[in-house]
Amino acid sequence: MGIACVLMTIEMKHMEKKKLISIFAIIVILVGIGSSVYVNAAQVDSKHINVNGQDYTIDQLFDISEEKTYETYFGIALDDLMVKTGVENPEEHEYTIIGQDGYQQTVKWENMINGLLTKDGKSIFTDLPKAFRVKEIVEIKVD
Amino acid sequence: MEKNKLLAGILVFGSLWGFSECIVGSMLRNAGLPAGAIMTGVFAFSLMAISRMFYKARGMQLGMGLVAGALRLFNPFGGCYICSAIAIMAEGMMFEILWYKISPDFNELDTLKIKSSMGIVTSYCIYVVGYVVTQILTPVFSSADFHIENLIVFIPQILAGGLLAAVIGGIMVPTMFLIKKFDNNLVRNRLYYPATIGISALCWLIVIANKY
Repeated sequence: MGIACVLMTIEMKHMEKKKLISIFAIIVILVGIGSSVYVNAAQVDSKHINVNGQDYTIDQLFDISEEKTYETYFGIALDDLMVKTGVENPEEHEYTIIGQDGYQQTVKWENMINGLLTKDGKSIFTDLPKAFRVKEIVEIKVD
Repeated sequence: MEKNKLLAGILVFGSLWGFSECIVGSMLRNAGLPAGAIMTGVFAFSLMAISRMFYKARGMQLGMGLVAGALRLFNPFGGCYICSAIAIMAEGMMFEILWYKISPDFNELDTLKIKSSMGIVTSYCIYVVGYVVTQILTPVFSSADFHIENLIVFIPQILAGGLLAAVIGGIMVPTMFLIKKFDNNLVRNRLYYPATIGISALCWLIVIANKY
């Protein structure tokens, strides 16, 4: 009798676990689908990069800024770009770089000195991990 | 389970995981594929689940995450890969949390539906947690600061990215259970130590050699 009770309790616990696992799986799928729909709807399709409140094409930015190379990457120096686009006292600001997919990273002036913007709109920082590489940049916000 | 056998298991499975992240992951990234979700669903989750079946030991997958994360730091293609290493370690930790209540003989996972559900939940959660943890901790190890608003605005993208990992995880689990029958034979085999140490050494050598 005692053993039967223990077995029944174990079986009930297993049933509860199974139910929970199934419910969580459904929630996960729904969250994933919902987020995918939201992300696709919210995606910005822009051919311009907004730097400090003004829109530029990538070619315009390459025309006004100093070129720079890092390993296999070629682009323009981000610190020079900030100066050329009229940011005053650049060392006193932080810079938020925002990608088309919403990915964004905030860096300091000392990082901008080691940064470049590639022709395909990607940021590369020689002094920061890969997580700071923002693809398809649509905005560089000066905070 | 003998302690030394378990340690050898952590080393070999962690090395295989780290090796796949370095070599296969980089290939997928270069091909423009969603490497994070594919790596989590196919390699990270599968290797952790298979090792859990073979060794039936809690805590092992956290150890595997540490080994794989350490190997990732020796990435062949240069640059700083601290972000990936942190994500891998966080994935190991999350797996441990999710599978803590699952019995060693997997009695609960008796039907295809439950097995797939567990695969979906685990793959999705380890992907999301790995991503979030690395976004928080990477700035700590760099000269830039962590800004919570940068993470918050990107949460929908992370949650969406995990869907592919979840689907892959759901498909992988039933396949993994097919190899469950080999478990004890493999660990009891007299070639266990030479094989585990040899495979681990090979993984590390290839990754380090690729660096130069």
